[in-house]
Amino acid sequence: MSPGGEDESGSDHVSSGDGGGGTAGPGGTGSGGGTATAVEDLRLEIPVERPRRIERFVALCFVVSVLATIGLAITYSLGGQNQAEGALLGVGLAGIGIGVAGWGKYLMPQGPFVEDRHELPTTEQDKRAFGASFSRGKVAVERRGFLGKLLGAAIGVFSIVGIFPFLRSLYNPRPGNALDFTQFRRGSRLVRIDGHPVTADDVEVGGVLTVFPEGHEGDAVSQTLLIRASSVPITTLPGRETWSPHGYLAYSKLCTHAGCPVSLYQQQVQQLLCPCHQSVFTILNGARPIFGPAPRLLPQLPIMENGDGFLRAQSDYQEPVGPGYWERNTSTTLNPPKKAAGQ
Amino acid sequence: MRNRLLLPAALVAFVVAVGLLSFAGSPTPARAQPSTAPTTTPGGAASTSTSVANPSTTSSTLPVPAALSSVGQPLFVNNCSSCHGLNAEGTNRGPNLVGLGAGTVDFWVSTGRMPLAYPGAQAVRKPVLFSRPQQLAIVSYVTSLGAGGPGIPAVNTQSASESNGNDVFGLNCAGCHVITGVGDALANSAFAPSLYQASPTQIAEAIRTGPGNMPRFGPGTLSDQEVNDVVRYVTYLQHPANPGGEGLGHVGPVTEGFLAIVVGLGVLILAAYWIGIRAGAST
Amino acid sequence: MIKRPTMKSRDEPRPSIEDRTIEGARWLDDRFGIARFGRTTLNKIFPDHWSFLLGEIAMYSFVILIITGIFLTLFFVPSTHEVIYNGSYVPLRGQRVSEAYQSTVDISLNVRAGMVMRQMHHWAADIFAAAVVVHLCRIFFTGAFRRPRELNYMIGLTMLIMVIINGFIGYSLPDDQISGAGLRIAFSIFLSLPIIGTWGAFLLWGGNFPGNGDIIPRFYSLHILIIPAVIAILLAAHLGIMWHQKHTDFPGKGKTNRTVVGSSFWPTYVAKTTGYFFIIFAGLALLGGLFQINPIWLYGSYQPFKVSYAVQPDWYMGWLDGALRIMPAWETQFASRYLISAPFYPAVLLPGLTFGILYAWPFIEARFTKENRMEHHLLDRPRDRPVRTGLGVGVLSFYVMLFLASSTDVLANTLKVSLNGVLWTFRIGTPTIPIVVGLATYQICKELSRAPSAGLRKRSAVVVRSTEGGYTTVPADIRPGDREGEPPPEALPEEAVGRGVGVGTGGREEPGEEEVGVAPVRSDATAVKPPRRFSGLLRPWHGPASGG
Repeated sequence: MSPGGEDESGSDHVSSGDGGGGTAGPGGTGSGGGTATAVEDLRLEIPVERPRRIERFVALCFVVSVLATIGLAITYSLGGQNQAEGALLGVGLAGIGIGVAGWGKYLMPQGPFVEDRHELPTTEQDKRAFGASFSRGKVAVERRGFLGKLLGAAIGVFSIVGIFPFLRSLYNPRPGNALDFTQFRRGSRLVRIDGHPVTADDVEVGGVLTVFPEGHEGDAVSQTLLIRASSVPITTLPGRETWSPHGYLAYSKLCTHAGCPVSLYQQQVQQLLCPCHQSVFTILNGARPIFGPAPRLLPQLPIMENGDGFLRAQSDYQEPVGPGYWERNTSTTLNPPKKAAGQ
Repeated sequence: MRNRLLLPAALVAFVVAVGLLSFAGSPTPARAQPSTAPTTTPGGAASTSTSVANPSTTSSTLPVPAALSSVGQPLFVNNCSSCHGLNAEGTNRGPNLVGLGAGTVDFWVSTGRMPLAYPGAQAVRKPVLFSRPQQLAIVSYVTSLGAGGPGIPAVNTQSASESNGNDVFGLNCAGCHVITGVGDALANSAFAPSLYQASPTQIAEAIRTGPGNMPRFGPGTLSDQEVNDVVRYVTYLQHPANPGGEGLGHVGPVTEGFLAIVVGLGVLILAAYWIGIRAGAST
Repeated sequence: MIKRPTMKSRDEPRPSIEDRTIEGARWLDDRFGIARFGRTTLNKIFPDHWSFLLGEIAMYSFVILIITGIFLTLFFVPSTHEVIYNGSYVPLRGQRVSEAYQSTVDISLNVRAGMVMRQMHHWAADIFAAAVVVHLCRIFFTGAFRRPRELNYMIGLTMLIMVIINGFIGYSLPDDQISGAGLRIAFSIFLSLPIIGTWGAFLLWGGNFPGNGDIIPRFYSLHILIIPAVIAILLAAHLGIMWHQKHTDFPGKGKTNRTVVGSSFWPTYVAKTTGYFFIIFAGLALLGGLFQINPIWLYGSYQPFKVSYAVQPDWYMGWLDGALRIMPAWETQFASRYLISAPFYPAVLLPGLTFGILYAWPFIEARFTKENRMEHHLLDRPRDRPVRTGLGVGVLSFYVMLFLASSTDVLANTLKVSLNGVLWTFRIGTPTIPIVVGLATYQICKELSRAPSAGLRKRSAVVVRSTEGGYTTVPADIRPGDREGEPPPEALPEEAVGRGVGVGTGGREEPGEEEVGVAPVRSDATAVKPPRRFSGLLRPWHGPASGG
């Protein structure tokens, strides 16, 4: 023990640089003398044999950090560049991080120290005292039992009413039958996204086009995939003999599984693929799902061509498009929608 | 004591000065200004071709010199006829090529997909067997056997709009080829190939002719201008600016997640190992 | 006992930092009485094990998310109002985009340092979720959820759910083409909820998909305020309970169920954890600067009729996406009146069951093992619990399979195999592989636990060549990392604590390097000397002054 090494300023001179007073001699923050038993405790020693090297390493880390961060400041000031910023910021932070962690790991005592776990449960006496305190209040409450019930009623009513704004104010468009119909009506011309109507000559066999009902371009629910699968009409299912003039098939673009746009048309095998979950539909027999998680056929839009060259919808879809929902029932599927029939 | 403060003060002053420099430098680049002014809707150019009767005649194409057909015949006989027949009439191993058009033949030959290496599987891009004149000779020979079909599109990207191409690509192409053009697997072993090697003419040919499972986008569906726009945008996609750093293959969250979990978290756990394990004397 | 501050009356010209600290502490102590609590805090013992830092990755990722997120809020516009883009990214000029999308593109390309901030934010979210999952695995396989920590385990699970939800919401905010597809699927999942589904979806989105544009501002307030606040509160509770109940530890020399053994909070653990924070920050900065994530300028603004292939969610949603992909096409019609649609089973029932069982697990396990009559502060080695470990690994592999199934298309394209084949592989493999993996794990655990030394680090041996040319093998010197040679754990010495020994003075006292020869190097032939105590390897704290 060298009591002469006391140097109070040592403890705030934290930069552990290897140049300065560090080598001046053994010094310590503890006042010397009588503390010998404590300081000889091995657990308070540092766990390395050559702390000088670690000091140099930590110092290097901090210096690198300062330099990198200044570099970051300069890069930023000159207008910034993502890679340089990220790299310099990373190096700057890593310098601090590795330096401080290394300091803590190698240059600080690591014990092992032991600490007793305190008893988590309280004593039986505490519990009884708690029970007594609680029942004292409970008696006072129970003595006015009807007040308690009224309070319960008041808070209960308030809780329910308090939810109202969070539901009613949000509930602007009630679902109604919004999920059952699209914007197609009898006679709606099929138009592209830019609003130009589609004529029977536009799409070549093996071609495909995304169409909408006229006036509703870009409508998410009405989006329809117009496929020219042939040059002659196709009967995809019994009862759909007139639905595909000139070999045009129109299917809802919304997957019956999760509503993604089914737009991956493989023209050689006449299949549609959904990009989200890979359901496969065969278009020649009503877009029947043959693979993947889609549970239902893609609804087909009955279309017509009245001699003026424009492709038109015969009616709305005959069943709800898109994914299933709770109120979707078999009658919705089987009966043609009232609105479409009325027009 | 004053000296002890000198160095830190100098450091702080320097850093602050650098910070002030950022104000003195060029101002922040102009950011997008919100504007509600109407503009031409994307795809507006399609209007010109809505009622075109015969698509293949109006779309601008490159001429294929007919004189080359005599050069093309032996090439065709030697390399193609075993599947497509001596007069390209088709056999049970390969389809009839008569009337498919110059664009179709040129696409398959110029991308190296034909001659086919493995009959049955989807053709893949390979090193091309023929020189460009030889390719055109084969095209010339096949087109001399029967007219019809789309020609070789004359691509002109000088006046093309990248932005409109982006829009058209997003609606018509990204479904299979991915919004970044990287390609992806389709049902039943088919796949939408990556577009990163395709030349401008090949891109336009593919759009017009619909090779394999790809749908065909005739002039009634996409105008020549729109095709040029798409070609220009795909050419950009082949070498997109990656301002954020390494592009990670442009396949989206799959590689990102892999990098985050395996590399990012992995390195951090290694760091935890270094910090968490008690120091030894070996240091 | 408490003295008034008398610093000014002293004649010391320059008070040391330590005195100033004590002075400040005295000021606070006069008002709040912090000294006792402060002291126990500084003296708190943290066990040393790398796996105890996994939770810190999550915690510090959260801090970095907040730092970068605050920056992003300064520029992000949470609005679906359509504008014409005329910013600096040419391939978008003239297109109709939402303000949310435009502002995100601006942050990426035009706001100085915006790109690195945004990418750090995204990488941090990915790593946050990953770290929570890995931390959960550590807790599960070591039995750290047992009494008395069941509630803290459940708080942690709740945070995991919050992280997943907030990650998904944040992913959706830029309103780009890929995240829009995710929102479309989320809407369909809402629709599949029995009874309340349709109404719930319409309430949240303000109408049928894509709604009236309210969803982005609503998600925004959830993303930047409500859910982070919930996470912050839960995190505070998580840490507070951990602090109060004290950390668990692996069994080992000197470890008992009644004690904690390790290094002290101050200064060692403070230094380590602070350093780790900066290391995590650095890792995220490097990722954010060097690796492009979610390049939304390439994806375009969301249009519901457009779609891109290779639409995957961020990884923490992958298991749900994979489940949606490999699930057979099941729908249930009730009395031809009501429908439980296809997404319900994989996307509602599966996560419900997953988290339900995870929440209940401590109680399920205690029911079988009857172990909740006592507190468990010593962790299990996973091999000693073959049933739990086998079950856990099996279930984990189930989720890994689901997770991998979310990239079927990319896998098929990369491996050049049939997409249908890959999907069928996952359809068959997802239910079967976990059983095989679980049983194999069970068996491996059984066999490992029969070999007590398996997996432990061997004490190395040194071959010594004598001067006569003979060879002898002797055990190497004990290294402190081996723990064998460490001194037995004892309480922090009062005296030293009172004096603040160890505060930042590490290594200063070592007299110089001339003495290092004393420390035996492993290859040193003099290793035959009797095993030294740990002290022989170390420089004493106040070392025996060699020179003076």
